[in-house]
Amino acid sequence: MSPLLVILGMAVVTFVPRYLGLRLAGRAVPSFWLRFFQFVPVAVFPALIVPELAGLPHGLPSRIIALVLAAAVLLRWRTTWAALLVGMAAFWLLRLVPGL
Amino acid sequence: MNSARFERADSSFVAGFVAMLPLWVGVLPFALTYAVSARGSGLSVWETQAMSLFVFAGASQISAAGMFAAGAGGLAIIATTFLINVRHALYGLNLGRRIPRGGLAQVLAAHTLTDEAFGIVSARKPTLRFLLGTELSLFFIWNLGTLAGALLSSSLPDPVTLGVDFIFPLAFLVLLLPLLVSRPAWLVAGFSGLLAWLLSGVVNAGLLVLVTGVAGSLFGAWLLGSRDEASA
Repeated sequence: MSPLLVILGMAVVTFVPRYLGLRLAGRAVPSFWLRFFQFVPVAVFPALIVPELAGLPHGLPSRIIALVLAAAVLLRWRTTWAALLVGMAAFWLLRLVPGL
Repeated sequence: MNSARFERADSSFVAGFVAMLPLWVGVLPFALTYAVSARGSGLSVWETQAMSLFVFAGASQISAAGMFAAGAGGLAIIATTFLINVRHALYGLNLGRRIPRGGLAQVLAAHTLTDEAFGIVSARKPTLRFLLGTELSLFFIWNLGTLAGALLSSSLPDPVTLGVDFIFPLAFLVLLLPLLVSRPAWLVAGFSGLLAWLLSGVVNAGLLVLVTGVAGSLFGAWLLGSRDEASA
């Protein structure tokens, strides 16, 4: 499948729930599915983080340390910018250390 | 954010556009992150931009870039996108009751609906005009950031050699942490993390995200359901 076709498919499956929600407002959705959708981001994001760390031949310690530092910056200062910058900077510096 | 200022309801398009400005600072790095990683995964500048124009949903775009990079199949990418973005139906269901239906404007309002716009509009009495103002404000900066990142990254060599690929787990950690505000949220994240660890290297990247996303969300819905029953 060509990338543009994949993007078109993504556009369709993203637009439909956005539009249906606005259109169907006022009707009841089963509460189980309301709760299900509420958890989707929390369930999906770990699946995008963990495989990047599992089964690496090397470089795991530097990645873990950089993630912990970024998390600390985010929790302390609540700034996305700073957390991303600190995480990337820490990773780039730690990569220079042999064994990490 | 200063909620007192929000209470004097100026419901114009411009007021909506301006209300989103503080969030530009948080959204811009993600637009750049998305564009750099999309280019790194092999998408062209136009494909990278087309996704921001026609999909316009940050987390799913970053995850799609990661999946393109991992060589995931097209259907897995589309299914994962659906799974990540179907939550917007909830925002629409919530807003739709208070916002009058209006043909093309409603189609545009649906296409550009985001977590951020929903958050801002929820904090006050929404009108279709104000909603469109917040939405298009974010649409503008997201696409501008995409273009900047896509052009910038053309001049960069291999992303893995540069270590740019690390932006994926980093960005998703930064997206995840603010969501962990309750015990069920922590449990679901832990459950999904463990499941993803077990599935790593067993199934492909796309299937892993899909299976983990569905299993984790089912677990969360079940957790909340059994808690509600216990307290009832």
